[in-house]
Formats: sequence, structure tokens, C-alpha cells
Amino acid sequence: MKELVEYMVKSLVENPDQVEVREIDGTRSVIFEVRVAQEDMGRVIGKGGRVANAMRTLLRVAAIRQGKRAILEIV
Amino acid sequence: MEERRSVEASGNSIEEATEKALAELGASREEVEIQILSQGGRRFLGLGTQEARVRGTLRPPEPQEEVALVAKEVLERLLAGMDIEARVSLRPPDLPEGPNPIVLDITGQNLGILIGRRGETLRALQFITRLIVNRRLHQWAEIVVDVEGYKKRRERSLTQLARRMADRAILLGQAVSLEPMPPHERRIIHLALRDHEKVTTESVGEGDLRKVVIFPRGHTAP
Repeated sequence: MKELVEYMVKSLVENPDQVEVREIDGTRSVIFEVRVAQEDMGRVIGKGGRVANAMRTLLRVAAIRQGKRAILEIV
Repeated sequence: MEERRSVEASGNSIEEATEKALAELGASREEVEIQILSQGGRRFLGLGTQEARVRGTLRPPEPQEEVALVAKEVLERLLAGMDIEARVSLRPPDLPEGPNPIVLDITGQNLGILIGRRGETLRALQFITRLIVNRRLHQWAEIVVDVEGYKKRRERSLTQLARRMADRAILLGQAVSLEPMPPHERRIIHLALRDHEKVTTESVGEGDLRKVVIFPRGHTAP
């Protein structure tokens, strides 16, 4: 799951070296905290949150495969 | 493509040198750019002959091909990240000439999870694939992602639904509204009934709640 998040985010930003993904594991859910360069915020969130929501949808599939719930936060 | 292979070859004639260059590159004449380095023939003062020499360079793939290759690779990465085992193939274009979108078909077992409720997951997959590809190639290409022919099936059932609901609107003599749908699905409904003699269609509502309403002709939108 973390790999998927990193791949998507790094592919969408202008500064992939400034991408940080932190994984916080719980028993039933897992949280991914994504940090990107200030100027890349818009690229990972998108108009009306469209990009972030599409990434969440794909992440949900990966999570279901592992019997978990995944939360993606852009901080 | 980052790699651009190039070789030099020589022979008794330009043709022969070209043949050798193509053989070495393992490519056909169309795929290679041939640059003549030396015509060959008799040397100055007639002292022996000089060999013909050419440089053959593989042409970069056609832009469309390049986009398709990148798109396939991106989609495969996404699927692997989602822990989905499936095959991605490039659908041959519908029209031999003219602009065709790049269509990637995903096939495999139990791929319902990739479609999601009302195709939501498939839409997200197509959106992210398109975004990554276009971001990487600095262009805007139309890329369509389909799973097990879902889109064709959905289009057919939406067209049937449109006709059924049109009949109902005529029978009842009143407007019939369909359930909320994303833009491209509403478009299929509008197109299906565009030339209908007895009904007109219109989209009403905002955002995720936007839906098509079918009006018997003579009635007007509220």
C-alpha cells in the first residue's frame, strides 16, 4: 500500500525528492500521512479534491485486499 | 524512449551498408534513419576504392506509440501497487486513420473490485493513469481504461434504459428522471435520445446529484 501511495504522489509532483509518506499502522486501519513541497499541494489535491479522492479510491482497493481500511491524509 | 541506438556500417555500396546497419539494429528500413557518411566508389587519383559508409539510427517511436507504452507501464504499476493480478493490453484502434484515444484493456479473474460502485473505481484508475502519463510526457493525451469490456456493456445498458424511460415518459405524459450519473454516462443517455421524435432530455441538479430528466415533447423544463 505504501508503495502505491509513494508511486502515485511522486509521479504527480514537480519535486518528488520532497515527498514523504509516513505509515501509521493500526489493527484494522492504516493511515498514510503524505507531505509534499508547498508548491505541489495543488497537484496532489486537485480541483475540489479530485486527485486526492481518486488516489483514496485506488488505495481503498489495495487496503481491501489486505482486509484493512486505509486513510490518506495530505498534511 | 531514452535509448536511441545507432550503428555505423560499411559495404561496397550504400545499399549493402544500409542492409548491414539494419541487420545489426534488428530493425526494418521504416524504423531506421540512414545517414550517408561516405558514398564510396573510386578514390581520388583512382587508387583503389573506398567503401560506402552509413550511420543507421533507430527512430524514436511514434508519439502515439510512446504514449501507449508509457500508459501501459503506469497502469501496470498502479495495478501491482493495488495487489491486483491482471493483464493490460492495448486495444487496436477502431479507425485505421484519424485520432483514436489510447484504450487499455485490463483482463483477469475477479476484477469487479476494479470497477466499483457505478464504475467509480474504474473512473479513478483512468483519471490517475491519465494524469501521471500526461504529467510525465508533458502533454495531454486521451487515455481510456476499461476492465473486461465493462464500458461497452454499460453503454449498451444505458442506451436500453434511455429508450425504456423515454417510452415511459410518453406513456405517462410526464417527465421521468433517471438516477444521478457521472457526465459521460449522462452524455450516453442524451445521445441515445437526441433524435427521438417524442422526447427531449435535459440534465438537472448539481455535482454528484446531477441527473437526466426525459420530457415528452411539448412539455418544458421546470
